[in-house]
Amino acid sequence: MNDPQWKTLVAAVRGESISPLPTAFIIDSPWLPNWAGHTILDYFTSEHIFLEDNLKAIRAFPEAIFLPGFWSEYGMCTEPSAFGAVSMWGEDEFPFAKKVLLSPAEVERLEKPNPRKHGLLPFVVKRLQHLQPEIEAVGHKIRFAVARGPLNIASFLMGTPEFLEATKTHPELMHRLLDLVTDFLVEWIAYQREVFPSIDGILLLDDIVGFVSRRDCETFALPYLQRAYNADVAIKFFHNDAPCKACAPLLASAGINLLNFGTQHTINDMKAWTGNSIALLGNIPPRDVLAEGTPEDVRRSTTEILSAVQDRSRLIVSCGGGMPPHAPTENIRALIATVQELTR
Amino acid sequence: MQDLSELQKAVIEGEVSAAVAAARQALDEGHAPIEIVAQGIGPAMAEVGKLFEEGEYFVPELLMAARATKEIFVILRPLLASSGAQPAAHVVLGTVQGDLHDIGKNLVAAMLEGGGFEVTDLGVDVPPEKFIEAVRRKPAQIVGLSALLTTTMPAMRSTIEAFNAAGVRQHFKVIVGGAPVTKKFAESIGADGYSESAAASVDLARSLLAS
Repeated sequence: MNDPQWKTLVAAVRGESISPLPTAFIIDSPWLPNWAGHTILDYFTSEHIFLEDNLKAIRAFPEAIFLPGFWSEYGMCTEPSAFGAVSMWGEDEFPFAKKVLLSPAEVERLEKPNPRKHGLLPFVVKRLQHLQPEIEAVGHKIRFAVARGPLNIASFLMGTPEFLEATKTHPELMHRLLDLVTDFLVEWIAYQREVFPSIDGILLLDDIVGFVSRRDCETFALPYLQRAYNADVAIKFFHNDAPCKACAPLLASAGINLLNFGTQHTINDMKAWTGNSIALLGNIPPRDVLAEGTPEDVRRSTTEILSAVQDRSRLIVSCGGGMPPHAPTENIRALIATVQELTR
Repeated sequence: MQDLSELQKAVIEGEVSAAVAAARQALDEGHAPIEIVAQGIGPAMAEVGKLFEEGEYFVPELLMAARATKEIFVILRPLLASSGAQPAAHVVLGTVQGDLHDIGKNLVAAMLEGGGFEVTDLGVDVPPEKFIEAVRRKPAQIVGLSALLTTTMPAMRSTIEAFNAAGVRQHFKVIVGGAPVTKKFAESIGADGYSESAAASVDLARSLLAS
């Protein structure tokens, strides 16, 4: 992300009037390598391909902000790998982490990983360090520390159904698990900030927060999100494209000021539930419209969604979730052009 | 003989031990296994589904109710088999090849069992051949395919194509579901039905069987 894009993002988060409205997308491994003509495994294993694919997207869509910018993640394997989870790879498949805890009681034996030494984390940091001169040579900077959120990591370590059940059957052990995961997360985020002083934002991705009731969110999510986001950065960005009516009113109290949400809710509803205190990133249907519709479908959907929004402050137009696999260039261009036409 | 309200309450509240105890008591009091399914578990899981749809229940509450149901079926299944009671239909379920997520599939399995269906759960990362082998071993009226990842959704299409190639597709209805799956996608791959939530899967299965 270059300086003007970062300034636009910060201005949007502060609620400043922006014309035209910014358009931004979370881009990562399912969409980006395939769109650029590479397999997911090539993208993850080649620094050259990683850089080339990111630059190709930046050049193809200069009006769009790509979030979080350059982020050398290894999908859902990144943080679980530090806890000893086996990472499974396919040539063109999203990597997957096998669970490491076979019962709630096994939480007792779990040790806090060292983000400087364990799993794929040193590779994530080193890759970005190696590419940093080339990234900065084209006017971009590494702006975000990125991690899966505490509930998401806990779910990968235990299995999602097992973790969610255990919040009911073994709440104390699940708090112990979340506590340890959050201690690790705080160190992981601090390490990224230490290595890259240009970081002034934190992105946590955690759909599991959307799976639980408001009461469970207050108990099992909020205290840990508050700790993970407790850093002096300008943008505290949260991705949750699961239903989030229950958690939305609580997110601002974790410090979150930018939210990418799904298509289950309207922008107006999200603004009401968050008290318009959080900038919203959304929410054109990613699969049915952006990936599988025609450019005309994208124009129609974007127009409908924007026309329905009463208050366009703290709004960044995007899809409801990350960029979906196989979203074609012409549809992304149609979305960007429509936003520019309608909000100039 | 007491009614089955205690069992229903235990299932709805996800109290696994209480649900199992209530099922044992119901059997001791002379309730037939099929009656416990039809008048106890079925209405309880329908209520759980309703509470989910209304936003009162969330995934953990569904999971606990499903777990209570599953434990009751451990007791009931052999009794149902020996009594000759016929299930509403046989459903084969699995998460498609390449996808290791089972939350949605497990919930659908519990809802369908609670609704009186016999469920064969093939687990996760199920290749098309395993589905085909399952329906050849024991004919199914419905096959359910689950996927959580956008990257594994294409495996739903290839599984249905494999059913066609194997000449078994016409013997059953195919239902699909999972977080990224939409009605439009379901139609585009030739599925017969799509359910937005596990809670709605029983109604979907019944409507497909009636059609």
